Amino acid sequence: MELLRALGVLAEAPSPKHRRLSDLLGLPGPPEGAAYADLFLMQLPPYASIYVGNEGMLGGEARDRVAGFWEALGHDPPDEPDHLSSLLGLAAALAESERREEDPHSALLLRRSRAALLWEHLLPWLPPFLARVEELGGPFYSRWAALLQEAVRSEVLDVGTLEAAPRHLAGAASLPDPREHGAGAFLAALFAPVRSGLILVRRDLSRAAADLGTGLRAGERTFAMKGLLSEDPGGCLDWLGAEARRSAAEHSVRLEGLGMIRSHWVGRARSAARLLASLTEGARAGVAT
Amino acid sequence: MYRDVSELSERVSAARAEVEARGETFYPGPSRVHLAAFPPKERWNDWVELDASAWPGRVERRYTLVPTTCFNCESACGLLAYVDRDTLEVRKFEGNPEHPGSRGRNCGKGPATLNQVTDPDRILYPLKRTGERGAGKWERVSWDEALDALAGRIRAALAEGRANEVMYHVGRPGEDGFAERVLAAWGVDGHNSHTNICSSGARVGFNLWVGSDRPSPDFENADVILLISSHLESGHYFNPHAQRIIEGQQRGAKIIVFDTRLSNTATHADHYVAPYPGSEAAINLAIANHLIQNDLYDAEFVRRWWNWREYMMARHGSAEPTFGNFERVLKELYAGYTFEYAASEAGVDPEALRAVADTVAGAGSRLAVHNWRSAASGNLGGWQVARTLYLLCALTGSVATEGGTHPASWNKFSPKPIHSPPGPPQWNELVWPREYPLSYHEMSILLPHLLLEGRGRLDTYFTRVYNPVWTNPDGFSWIDALTDHELVGLHVALTPTWNETAQYADYVLPMGLGGERHDVHSYEQYDGQWIGFRQPVLRAARERLGEEVSDTRAVNPGEVWEENEFWMELSWRIDPNGELGVRQYFESRRRPGEPLTVDEYYGWMFDHSVPGLPEAARAEGLAPLQYMRRYGAFEVRRKVGALYAEEVPASELKDIGTDGRGRVFTRADKPSGPHTVSAPMEPEDAEGRRCVGVLVDGAVRRGFPTPSGRLEFFSTTLDEWGWPELAIPGYIKSHIHPEKLAGDQMVLLPTFRVPVQIHTRSGNSKWLDEIAHTNPLWIHPRDAAERGVVSGDLMRVETAVGHFVLKAWVTEAIRPGVVACSHHMGRWRLHAQGQRQVAASVSLDRSGQEWSMRRTGGGGAYASKDPDTSRIWWADVGVNQNLTFPVHPDPISGMHCWHQPVRVREADPGDRAGDIRVDSSRSREIVREWLALTRPADEVSPDGTRRPRWFARPLRPRPEAYRLGDPDPLEPK
Repeated sequence: MELLRALGVLAEAPSPKHRRLSDLLGLPGPPEGAAYADLFLMQLPPYASIYVGNEGMLGGEARDRVAGFWEALGHDPPDEPDHLSSLLGLAAALAESERREEDPHSALLLRRSRAALLWEHLLPWLPPFLARVEELGGPFYSRWAALLQEAVRSEVLDVGTLEAAPRHLAGAASLPDPREHGAGAFLAALFAPVRSGLILVRRDLSRAAADLGTGLRAGERTFAMKGLLSEDPGGCLDWLGAEARRSAAEHSVRLEGLGMIRSHWVGRARSAARLLASLTEGARAGVAT
Repeated sequence: MYRDVSELSERVSAARAEVEARGETFYPGPSRVHLAAFPPKERWNDWVELDASAWPGRVERRYTLVPTTCFNCESACGLLAYVDRDTLEVRKFEGNPEHPGSRGRNCGKGPATLNQVTDPDRILYPLKRTGERGAGKWERVSWDEALDALAGRIRAALAEGRANEVMYHVGRPGEDGFAERVLAAWGVDGHNSHTNICSSGARVGFNLWVGSDRPSPDFENADVILLISSHLESGHYFNPHAQRIIEGQQRGAKIIVFDTRLSNTATHADHYVAPYPGSEAAINLAIANHLIQNDLYDAEFVRRWWNWREYMMARHGSAEPTFGNFERVLKELYAGYTFEYAASEAGVDPEALRAVADTVAGAGSRLAVHNWRSAASGNLGGWQVARTLYLLCALTGSVATEGGTHPASWNKFSPKPIHSPPGPPQWNELVWPREYPLSYHEMSILLPHLLLEGRGRLDTYFTRVYNPVWTNPDGFSWIDALTDHELVGLHVALTPTWNETAQYADYVLPMGLGGERHDVHSYEQYDGQWIGFRQPVLRAARERLGEEVSDTRAVNPGEVWEENEFWMELSWRIDPNGELGVRQYFESRRRPGEPLTVDEYYGWMFDHSVPGLPEAARAEGLAPLQYMRRYGAFEVRRKVGALYAEEVPASELKDIGTDGRGRVFTRADKPSGPHTVSAPMEPEDAEGRRCVGVLVDGAVRRGFPTPSGRLEFFSTTLDEWGWPELAIPGYIKSHIHPEKLAGDQMVLLPTFRVPVQIHTRSGNSKWLDEIAHTNPLWIHPRDAAERGVVSGDLMRVETAVGHFVLKAWVTEAIRPGVVACSHHMGRWRLHAQGQRQVAASVSLDRSGQEWSMRRTGGGGAYASKDPDTSRIWWADVGVNQNLTFPVHPDPISGMHCWHQPVRVREADPGDRAGDIRVDSSRSREIVREWLALTRPADEVSPDGTRRPRWFARPLRPRPEAYRLGDPDPLEPK
């Protein structure tokens, strides 16, 4: 579907040439560099590995799995195989090939490839990711995210459903209890969306600091979170618990119809909420005593 | 909803089909995905990050990020200066991701610009000599005093018809054309360069083929990359090229490296050949012969684009000039260059050469080659190395193809400036002596010799970030000339830091570093065209914060200036009333009668001369100059491709005529716009029509900028200018060929760089100096064992004119029979002032023509405002081997042939590392021996001119100056 490719291109750094695409798609105004930089460089980099990797970072095994998929299709993986633009471009290319293919067996194989790409490498992270983009992306990217969500949904209708659990999600480790595994392991997992069920970005931390009335320390997210936790442990854990509950509710609605993918995200967010509630209680009790 | 999405997708498909049907690209193009490895450009004005040096403390710093370009090597990679918004100091330099050549990456020399800015030994104020030249006595003077003194002398020289006594001698320019235009405005043919100690050889080889003196390989798309260079660690355009070579290799390209020394590049090669130095052209011809004998070349390309017909008519007049006959001749021409012959010359296994040739044959039209210094600059006839290398591109059709090798001039963009003065009206024989009509650049290596022999004098001599006493061969002859007031009336060193030559100057004027000066430049680093903009970063930062800065001295350290403003001001003072015709080229257009400013100069250029820049700037709501100040670079064009094959549009063909070679002339005006390619040698035919292209199979195409408009396998220029025996690519046995050496002599390779230094320009970088500060003698274990030496032992290396002393480094990374020594190190100073991090203290004694330099102290710790200088742990700072080299000008290219026949033995008792002894009378004799190899223009010029007009010159005089007159009157000393 050409629309997927076009929307993928709009996830790249904007240039004056992007105006044609945004006009064509009826999106509000050309994308602006500042909005792009804030959203995709600072808050929500559009790479699968960040959202489905156990480390919550670029690269690693998650990216290797995506690169392996490109290879399995007989392509050299591009420089950034798990960038949203690369994946949507691939989805569009597979759909085109299928349409052109005259041999029914080959066409079926291409259709299965499309389904595998969608269910293994896009759906496991795209809906929760796009939900956050809609929330944080400003006029242009919010509308872009909604449109992409629609496009992905129509792609699901087109290629059908795969029942097997996506490998990215099946291999996700759980969110460890800091009382058993230490604060470091807990915080690392908290910022790995596939483990915690939460997509926590920098702007969330600023919001947390404002809500809690504490300062926010400069640095990467784990460091800043440590600062918040050391200043107001009970309040911060409670705030995170509320975020987890909110995410669980959001996932439940947004991932409707996605079977095991929905179960994973909702389940992870609810587990996180439970753990955070217990930690909040412990922290407040600790303060009280 | 589903239907909406489907309809929208159809709409996109239809729009794409429509756009692509017009031959345009629908999507914005590849490579717009990138990691956030750099601060996003939208946040450059106000960027916050933690101060690494405050760790483990977490101190936030607020920066404004200002782009500029590196001023160390000639790559001019993009830099981003992190200017602290609170203190307005530069805290670091990192890469500029917006720079198309370097793409955000840098080698160590880029970030080390910070060391140069904060160097405690840098020169901050104008200085004037108070004692004898070289005595190390200086006083601080004002810029006004220095400018008036210079202006007075130059004005007098111009007014008295002594324009040839003014000379500007530049190291790596790092800018395109500004200085040449200053000299042209003065009417001075006094541009002198460093090129014939650097790249003249390779330039001649490439230029003869294609009319462009440098290759621009498309490494990233090549299938085979053939390097006669150490490109990955120190090549020309090192960082921009190295990253693309590795990308090519990652794509599957095979890398072939010829290098006598196992360089870091060689270690990355699929085929590594370590030839005897000077045999490289024989290897290239053996590869060519393999392609020819086995019909592995692109015959159709050769038929269409080589000037084989000219060759057949000139050399085989009795045969019908058909391509079939040419192919038969071609098979005979190089039949002697078997793998066995080349292998015997190179001292390598013939099967290794066969494997290389098979790989080259598999390149198709994707063969990317480079040779710049290395063999082309080491050997007599080194220019044939580049020429035979390009023969492989010409045979495989890898000319301006994707993955092939492009003419540099198509991948470079030179914007027109606000004023363009005509060339000087006279010819300067001190820089372009008549013995060298084909030398590719100025004969700077001969300058002291020509002066000492009474062939001229200099009234005012500028050395501009150039250090010939140290860098050029035979530095003692330079000292001899520079200390003679009759020969050099006034010597002005324009330099950011002390160097050996500045010690002998009358004025030392401090000029800015990479982040302290304006320049514009463009270099062929991939198949595209870009311009880079160097700027004083503190000036740009202050302007962003609302200040107005009209003089760069106001923001630079001390009274350090920049050259643009310096030349404008000096020119104004030379001709304050406009009587000499100089001032007009330095006047504002906006405010006639007032001086031009750098803002107007670059503003005009970016407004009027860079296609696409005004539009790109407008899209961001900026003026073009603001755009360049914000991003530091602009890509003018990507994928230039095969310009030669473009058909000349009918609108340019009006009343056309052709000559015997197939060149086409037209009465249509030349369309305005950059880089229209045509044969430049005879811009007009007898009827006054301009050359527009070349006729190929009935179509008029742009062709190449050569006399024939085709690739010149056969050089009519060499044929007509006295070298008919060299008119086709061939192999010249080097001056260090084994046949020319005595049994106990070895070859010294003195030309190689190390990755983190760049001649003497980077010696003021403490980070780099810590990594690389000495230059031991590379010697093979077999040669070391014969001499009973181990690593660290002191050796004497005896050249034809003297010797130098240094430590041995025993390594298998060099061929037996060859020794090597990097030319970067061995800095020295006579007096207290000077750059101290890598310079030894020396005493210099002279008795007649016998010179002796003794080391009195090495490097070491010292107290300064930078606490790091008290932590310097190295004392061994190497040896200035170039002082012991006689001058070897190649009779054709004028290139100094760097390799030296030497004897290598253990040092004498009492020798110290760094000691040097030279008999400069012997140097003079050797120069005369090499001069005797030349065929001067008086004897060979076919048309009474000094030089083929189609050969480039950095500063081209007017046509009438090309006519050979009587030699300048000799005034024997």
